[in-house]
Amino acid sequence: MLSFTRTKVIGVESPKENILLAHGVLDDNIYAMELDVEVKLPDFEITGIQGRMKRTTTAECWKAVPKLGNAISLRIGEERFISKINRGVGKQGCSHFANLLLECCDAIRQQAIYGGWRKLKEKDASLSKESFLKEQLKKIPDLKDSCLLYS
Amino acid sequence: MILDYTRCKHASIAELEENSLLVRVAVEDTFYAAEVEMVVGLPALEVTSIKGKVKRAFSDKCQQAVPLLNEVVGMRVGSGIIKAVNDLVGGPSGCPRLADLILEGFNDVILRYTMPPLREIVPLAGQAQLEAYQVYLRKSPRLVGSCIAFAEGSPYREGLEV
Repeated sequence: MLSFTRTKVIGVESPKENILLAHGVLDDNIYAMELDVEVKLPDFEITGIQGRMKRTTTAECWKAVPKLGNAISLRIGEERFISKINRGVGKQGCSHFANLLLECCDAIRQQAIYGGWRKLKEKDASLSKESFLKEQLKKIPDLKDSCLLYS
Repeated sequence: MILDYTRCKHASIAELEENSLLVRVAVEDTFYAAEVEMVVGLPALEVTSIKGKVKRAFSDKCQQAVPLLNEVVGMRVGSGIIKAVNDLVGGPSGCPRLADLILEGFNDVILRYTMPPLREIVPLAGQAQLEAYQVYLRKSPRLVGSCIAFAEGSPYREGLEV
């Protein structure tokens, strides 16, 4: 028998050039909440964030919503980014908001890294994945040594 | 607006008869799909087995990270686990996304154990809930200061010596 489940669903759109907007929803046996996060490229700066708590455990949890503002102007991938979110949005607010925000930020980053592949490949059929990844590494230097693809 | 990227991540904890938990975590997004399945033994919360797959990835090279999952066998859900998993499964020679699935599963194991007391406390109202949370915090001091609800000045902290 299942005793616990958690689902997170994220969608990323690009309403304007160099802007990525993520909408994330978290739903589990205990909590339900959602976030809208705006990130400006190419420096991955968080420029906007809004959140809503739908199902929580205490009468104090709603006070975590304004703490989302602590993420504004942080840049995804900057030094100690995850710790800064966990402290400023999580510990000072709600750890589940921080968890969902990090999920949204990772989704934005994945889109920024790989989202251009299809169009570039259509323009240039000879483009290899290896050369595409090298270009991405030049554009996003903190990818270096982040995983076996970039080492 | 049509979405450029979508992600769905789902984790579940099932109770096995042989005093253990079956933890399943799967992610499917525009560029990547993977799943991890772990058995966590009780009461030590020790990973006794793990298997996983990278079902779809931008590069075939990502498959090379799958054997690193075995590094997690023997680990216990507890302090230091995040760094250990990130170092052994993520990192420059691994896959941070596989590491993330393992950590998602561990986080959900912890949440599974916070649920029974919350099931008793959350339906209470007013003073009864406040007092029930104060008792809960005394029993679970790790929660003190962990979020705004249990921060200094919160009514749930009244009368609690830290």
